[in-house]
Amino acid sequence: MTKKIDAFQRMLLIIIVVYSVFVTIKNPGFFQIQTVFDIVKTSSTTMIVAMGLLVVMISGGIDVSFMAIALFGSYTSLYIMIQTGINHLAFAFAVSMGIGALLGLVNAVLISWLRLPPFIITLGTQNLFHGIMTTFISDKSFGSGVLPECLHQFGQGTLFKIATDNGSTGLTVSLIPVLAAGLATYFILRRTMVGRGVVAIGNDEESARRAGFNPFRIRLFVYAYSGALAGMMGIVYAAQVNALYPNKMVGDELMVVAAVVIGGTKITGGQGKIFGAVLGVIITYLLNSTLIMIGLSSSWNNLFVGAILVIAVAITSYQERVKNRKHLIFTE
Amino acid sequence: MKPILCASNISKSFIGVRALNNIDITINAGEIHCLAGENGCGKSTLVKCISGVYTPDEGTIQIEGQSCRAMTPMEAMTHGIQVIYQDLSLFQHMTVAENIAISRLKFENKKLINWKTIKAIAKEQLDKIGVTMDLDETVGELSMANKQMVAICRALAQNAKILFMDEPTTALTKTEVSHLMKVMLDLKKKGLAIVFISHKLDEVFEVADKITIFRNGNKIGDFNSSELDEKSLSYYMTGREIEYPRYHRTYQDDTPILSVEHLTRKGQYEDISLTVRPGDIIGLTGLLGSGRTELAMSLFGLNKTQAGVIRVNGRKTDIKSPMVAKKCGIALLPEDRSREGLFIERKIKENISAPLIDDLCERGIVNCKKENEIAQRYVEELKVRTPSIDTVVGTLSGGNQQKVVISKWIATNPKVFIMDTPTVGIDIGSKSEIYEQIHKFADKGMAMILISDEIQEIMANCNRVLVMANGKCVVQLEEEDLMREDADKNLADIISNQKAKALSQEVAQ
Repeated sequence: MTKKIDAFQRMLLIIIVVYSVFVTIKNPGFFQIQTVFDIVKTSSTTMIVAMGLLVVMISGGIDVSFMAIALFGSYTSLYIMIQTGINHLAFAFAVSMGIGALLGLVNAVLISWLRLPPFIITLGTQNLFHGIMTTFISDKSFGSGVLPECLHQFGQGTLFKIATDNGSTGLTVSLIPVLAAGLATYFILRRTMVGRGVVAIGNDEESARRAGFNPFRIRLFVYAYSGALAGMMGIVYAAQVNALYPNKMVGDELMVVAAVVIGGTKITGGQGKIFGAVLGVIITYLLNSTLIMIGLSSSWNNLFVGAILVIAVAITSYQERVKNRKHLIFTE
Repeated sequence: MKPILCASNISKSFIGVRALNNIDITINAGEIHCLAGENGCGKSTLVKCISGVYTPDEGTIQIEGQSCRAMTPMEAMTHGIQVIYQDLSLFQHMTVAENIAISRLKFENKKLINWKTIKAIAKEQLDKIGVTMDLDETVGELSMANKQMVAICRALAQNAKILFMDEPTTALTKTEVSHLMKVMLDLKKKGLAIVFISHKLDEVFEVADKITIFRNGNKIGDFNSSELDEKSLSYYMTGREIEYPRYHRTYQDDTPILSVEHLTRKGQYEDISLTVRPGDIIGLTGLLGSGRTELAMSLFGLNKTQAGVIRVNGRKTDIKSPMVAKKCGIALLPEDRSREGLFIERKIKENISAPLIDDLCERGIVNCKKENEIAQRYVEELKVRTPSIDTVVGTLSGGNQQKVVISKWIATNPKVFIMDTPTVGIDIGSKSEIYEQIHKFADKGMAMILISDEIQEIMANCNRVLVMANGKCVVQLEEEDLMREDADKNLADIISNQKAKALSQEVAQ
């Protein structure tokens, strides 16, 4: 944790730089500020949930229900706003994040109660939450016309604009929630006792208990936090797309899991870095948005992300094995 | 000596079984107190009663005059009771500094983390025990000995007054143990009460001021360590005199079944030559990093060799995997029984049949009847004490687990059986049973390579001994050397000489 950039992150950075140089050679149109702004905007939603997922994974768990939570939270809060005519961005975020946190608590309680693997529980609640929403709340689609105006403004808003050859381009306002999520996560993980508790139970739950931590409470926090960030992400998503359909987002969880794992987060918990997760997300989006530029169809995207994921996991496990060998532990 | 903890009339039962029966114990400040006894004698239960994990059914506990009977583990810690469990309870991916300081900060109920405070706390504790360590190193990268130091520092950070250590030396080598002992003596001088549980008798004598012996949940007595010697101690622990019979090779055939010539792997061992005849029990001993475990791994195909020749039955063989080793009739009982030796969560019969499973299969289907027969036969032969062969191995005591590992390999009828510290963490009763079995197998012509730290163990079992240091074989003792009267003393001297040499080299560097 003390070395700001470890070998693994350096490798990710090198991949990003080398790949960017490669794309620029193939297509000089890539090398401009517009591209950066585009990637920041399109990756912002994933960045937010990646932070939540990172915390969950460091605690030794996994969450695949966050997209359903994001949809549930944003859909419900926007539904209320449309029904009542409230047009206030803070309201949208507050309600959506509140619902998200609540659903996260449900996850945590189920996991602790039933003592089942988080993967199964959240796979179940993913469908459960989605089903509850479409059955009991509404399954109508909200087009751009019906969404509250404030949302539209937020989605199109820019922090500042820069004049370029093909008109002006701006940095999206969505960066603010991303930064907020990133900084909050950093602060929690590094500077609070709860955050160290998260790392501790990810390392060894029994030892954490002996050190005075309460794993149940920490788990409540972890999943609620992941849920709240999912709620936040839902609003950002709806604002950017300027529409919300009751079948969106759900199904994209595993891409986020892949990004976080590519970032060097341990699947078994206890270790993971924010900067790593950020790099992981950037890599997936970089591929996503540039394959066309180098003349490949978007179907190549899955292939590349899959390959990088496998390689990243292979490298971490290889490093582990070399380390173990030094201590004469033979796991293979 | 000022008594710091007085427990009297402590009793504790589990589902009708009396684990502790009217135990009285007094622990003094500035004293090293050893709890000795066979497995299941109640010493761990007592520690758990004192540290608040269990609430005793009867009895009183007074800490510094204050009565505190029904404590939670947290309350026990606020009274200065710290327990270092065998697994050390460290966080592998966290730094040394954080591992030391986090519990203390948690108990002070800090909500925010100040990394400077963490480092300051860690530094202070490390200074107390006179150890230097990189505070930013991840604990997972430390040696077992250093992990132990981190665990001690963590206890000190919480103002420990009584430090319980459960088998602190099991995973340490000789030099590491003596370093740990030094630290313990140091802390004792500073007024800390240290209570440790140990199986290794020689350690008990080296540092303990007082020894309390348990047997079957009863206290046999408190002794000053000067009042006891190893024999009387083991007599009190087991209730019977233990004198291990010596092994003498009687097998007639002298053609070597395994020979090793100039075997080398740089950085681990160098130029090792060794001939193993049927019925040989070859002792392999030496200090930290002497390369003995690495050598054993190589003979079992788990560690590639760089130069040299291994001959099995006179034929040059490249043992490149455990599969090849098994085919050559080589078996290995690994150091870490629960992780490498057993499928700890599976039944006894599944463990025993595992290396034989190919032979038990008919067209890919396991013949369960045969599996049961084999398991039953070896459980009986090795006297594994278990309700049935369907019992999960993890629920057995350490000694019985080890017997299952031995049965598993004996079932494959090996020609050479390598045993890496087979009796670590095993009670004296099972130990002598295992020795008896080893002798029996060797009499029938099986060859053994026995890696051990215990001179007593080597003397009782081996007819030849190799002492290794720094990857080289420094001394080889033959049968006639071992038959001399002062052979055990001689061997101890050789090892301590190597220890001194290693230390002086360290100093020189």
